[in-house]
Amino acid sequence: MNEDRRSFIKKAGIGILAGIGSAAGLFPALSLEKTVFPAWDEKPEPGKHRWGMLIDTRKCSGNCRECVAACHFTHNVPDFGNRKDEVKWIWKSAYEKVFPTASNQFQSPEVTERPYVALCNHCAEPPCTKACPTEATFRRWDGIVSMDYHRCIGCRFCMAACPYGSRSFNWRDPREGIKLASTEYPTRMQGVVEKCNFCSERLVKGLDPACVEACPEQALVFGDLNDPSSEIRKLLESSETMQRKPELGTKPSVFYII
Amino acid sequence: MTKKIIMTATALLIVALAGIYAFRHQEIMAEKVIEPAPAATVDSSACIASKEFMKANHMRVLNEWRHSSVREGNRVWVAPDGRKIEKSLNTCLNCHSSNRMFCFNCHMYANVKPNCWNCHISPMEAP
Repeated sequence: MNEDRRSFIKKAGIGILAGIGSAAGLFPALSLEKTVFPAWDEKPEPGKHRWGMLIDTRKCSGNCRECVAACHFTHNVPDFGNRKDEVKWIWKSAYEKVFPTASNQFQSPEVTERPYVALCNHCAEPPCTKACPTEATFRRWDGIVSMDYHRCIGCRFCMAACPYGSRSFNWRDPREGIKLASTEYPTRMQGVVEKCNFCSERLVKGLDPACVEACPEQALVFGDLNDPSSEIRKLLESSETMQRKPELGTKPSVFYII
Repeated sequence: MTKKIIMTATALLIVALAGIYAFRHQEIMAEKVIEPAPAATVDSSACIASKEFMKANHMRVLNEWRHSSVREGNRVWVAPDGRKIEKSLNTCLNCHSSNRMFCFNCHMYANVKPNCWNCHISPMEAP
């Protein structure tokens, strides 16, 4: 009887030691969203930069979804597998859905049958920010139309105001729909609206947006629209470009080469 | 006697293996850390203010930080002693998340239920 007790205690002791040993490695100090060190110290000057994107749709191949996958992984965008609960920051859509009001007629079928990348246009005159009753969405100092999810009350006025369908509502707890979670970025919660943030968390680190980096054809060009010597400005000068629904006067910062 | 030796040897082997695994895990996790941007002069290696101040005012600090970093883009807070600190929840959690009861002990006692962890990854569920 006593012998059994002794051996049980011995075994339990070994088990505890092994547990402590492995637990030390399982809870490292640096395991959360990493602290992002900004590339600048001071308050930025409002209006100095205006970030924009140029999408060369001629280079964008039909079946590739690299930009969507990279963005949705980076930002923990949930995928529930149905249209009703769909949350999207960047997506591919048909010509007539991306440019429903374009007046060009009789284009080649190659142009109208190609899929087009759509995302938030980060408008210079955003209708969504004017609709928001809590100032949860606002136009930042660098032209990015940003969301403060802490303040969003889920009224969805911004979704009704956005003419591009760039905003999604979290009908369900998004954590249920995230298969592979990135620890570099938070998730959202049920009952808030979310959208593309032009990778403002990556811009702080001096990186290009995730979609731009992921594109195998370099079809996406990101840059400062206020800098006349930037690559995007040179491309805008040298090529014929289109914007989505320009007649609404929202002044989108996303341009398309068709 | 031989039984005792075998038992001790097994115990030592298990502890050694667990130690090696823990060390490797730390190393792998350490490699994942993103290099700071070149201009960074931010120090978050020590607490930003005294324990007493943070006990009473952490929610005000976080609220203020969120407003000025999200709305005005001013992401660096200069402490009274001149240190520059990144305005981020992770400035605190990078050290304190090793204590799984950080945040929770006090909040449970005071019956306060902030909703930080609905979106941010909490120390409780750190991978």
